[in-house]
Amino acid sequence: MSDVNDCSTVDQLGVRLLRVRGEVDLSWSQKLRKAVLEALATGRHVAIDLSQVSYIDSSGIAALVEGFQNSRGKSQRFSLVAVSKPVHAVLELARLDRVFPIFATLEDAVK
Amino acid sequence: MSAAAALIPVRTGLARIGPEEVGILADFSQAFAASLDVGETLRKAVVQIADHMNAEAAAVFLTDPQAGDIVCRACAGPVDVVGLRVQAGRGIVGRTIAENRVQMVRDTRNDPDYLGDQRGFQSRSILCAPLDTADGAIGALQVLNKRDGALFDTHDANVLRLLAVPTALALNNARLMRELVEQNRIKREFQLARQMQKTLLPARRHNFPITALNLPAREISGDFFDFFDLPDGRIAFCIGDVAGKGMDAALLMVRASSCLRWVGKDGTAPGEWLSKVNRELASTVTRGMFVCAVAGYYDPHTSMIELANAGFPPLLLRRGDQTMRELRADGPPLGILGDFGYSSESMALAGGCLYAFSDGVTDVRGADRKPIGMEGVRQLIDRVSGLSPRARVRAMVGTLRKMSLADDTTLMLIADDGAASRYLGGLAGSSDPENLRLVRRKVSEVVKQLGFNDEQRQRIVLAIDEAVANVIRHAYQGCYDGRVELSVWLDHDAVRFELRDYAQPVDPAKIKPRDLSECRPGGLGINLIDSVMDRWVFQRPEDGTGNLLTMIKRLP
Repeated sequence: MSDVNDCSTVDQLGVRLLRVRGEVDLSWSQKLRKAVLEALATGRHVAIDLSQVSYIDSSGIAALVEGFQNSRGKSQRFSLVAVSKPVHAVLELARLDRVFPIFATLEDAVK
Repeated sequence: MSAAAALIPVRTGLARIGPEEVGILADFSQAFAASLDVGETLRKAVVQIADHMNAEAAAVFLTDPQAGDIVCRACAGPVDVVGLRVQAGRGIVGRTIAENRVQMVRDTRNDPDYLGDQRGFQSRSILCAPLDTADGAIGALQVLNKRDGALFDTHDANVLRLLAVPTALALNNARLMRELVEQNRIKREFQLARQMQKTLLPARRHNFPITALNLPAREISGDFFDFFDLPDGRIAFCIGDVAGKGMDAALLMVRASSCLRWVGKDGTAPGEWLSKVNRELASTVTRGMFVCAVAGYYDPHTSMIELANAGFPPLLLRRGDQTMRELRADGPPLGILGDFGYSSESMALAGGCLYAFSDGVTDVRGADRKPIGMEGVRQLIDRVSGLSPRARVRAMVGTLRKMSLADDTTLMLIADDGAASRYLGGLAGSSDPENLRLVRRKVSEVVKQLGFNDEQRQRIVLAIDEAVANVIRHAYQGCYDGRVELSVWLDHDAVRFELRDYAQPVDPAKIKPRDLSECRPGGLGINLIDSVMDRWVFQRPEDGTGNLLTMIKRLP
């Protein structure tokens, strides 16, 4: 997995897809938070692809939680897709694995 | 002669001083006594002197010891000669000061010392009295040309001598005051230099194998020590003593210590390390100055020490079996022979402790007034050996202070006999989130050897990352220049992480996990730490500054 921390937004299958890569920690989780909130400003269904994330800490999880909360009550959808093992472990640890809608692929998320 | 007159020794000349002179003398003394600005009072005084003495001009000259001449400080008359300089010993003024006696020149044309007209003023006759102090004459008071064309007489000479007394007194006081101000300024400069020097010494690290202390004999020190982590887990250290105790030694200390740190950062073998610094210092340092130093590395994993010694006093290695070994210097001090090649020496610390100390320690005088020497230091080490390394340093310094410390004193301990726990590694750096990646690498690497599986390891890494992130966000409130120290210890059945910061103390009661059933973005970190670690304690460190978070995870 690449060492470069990055997130980019594409539209795919009618979903605003935010692809995140690298290690999400306090040094750039604010950037992820902004990207999530920006995607939510225009997209009806926002999905976060976490397959290329090798590490996430609570500040990164907080950005995802904030996105999820913003989507609710606005008839928007917010999904996590292709969650990598390290990210899943942290979600489990924080007992958030059953809070977020989590899908194996983007296709599953739009079904 | 009346009885009263017999009691007061009156010089014959002064006997004719009348009430008028007593009046001006009183005015004069009072003006100087009340004056905050001697220069201003002096300028008014010379005008009064000229008037009173019925002279065309008057001037006050003061010696300038630094320039080696005499300079006019105040004058009255048709020509301004303030700032005029006369070589010491020359002219009528120079003669007055050199002989410390009143000079009366009735006709300048007949006086071989007369230097000629100054700035267009023709001096026909001159009367000049020294400004006498306990340190000798500091200047002279001069009047030139009587206004009515008459000549100065003995009476004038006596009056001028009389007026010179309060003038000398006031000028001398002002001079002493200036010197006092200057001394205070220098003292302040030295204090600043000391503070500056202190910042060059590494901060004390909690639960770290190296403990060191520097006690300067004066404000500033010629001794130094340093230690820092290398990326490969070894700890680089150096300790040194610059010849001399003054500002020159202090400045060379700054140069030598930064040079040592610069070269040591690369992990260069100690012999080569000192050789490089020696070449640099020998090519630039003033002749006659040199630096005694030890430089080396300690590997906490293997407890091996590798070091080189350039003219520094012998080190003492106290092994686990309580035997003591003396390690002598293998080369001359740095800065003398530029092409000398120093060699490295290796030894196992294995449950022992290495003591390095500047000659201020061996030179301390005991009850018999003789330096305690190596033997005295050995006895001192034996006496304190049961204590923790920090307590050992405190006890040694306490003992040394009771004797007479004359020189800068520096002490460094590298201890592998501190406690039952073993130091596994650590990291110290600034509270910059960019450093979190390094923290994770370090923790992952240290934990790897302890038998945790990948998942457990990742969780431990997460917990430590969260703890450091909390320090950055909450203790330092997002300031990136705070100091954060992490040390990892192996106790007999657990790994212990100690995270230290130097921020404002945080209330331990506020550090608690939140209820996970409510879904909100913040405050997750402590929950993660709490679920990963077996035990954690948040407390104030024993030295009272900052915060200390101890996290314990049982071995698998």
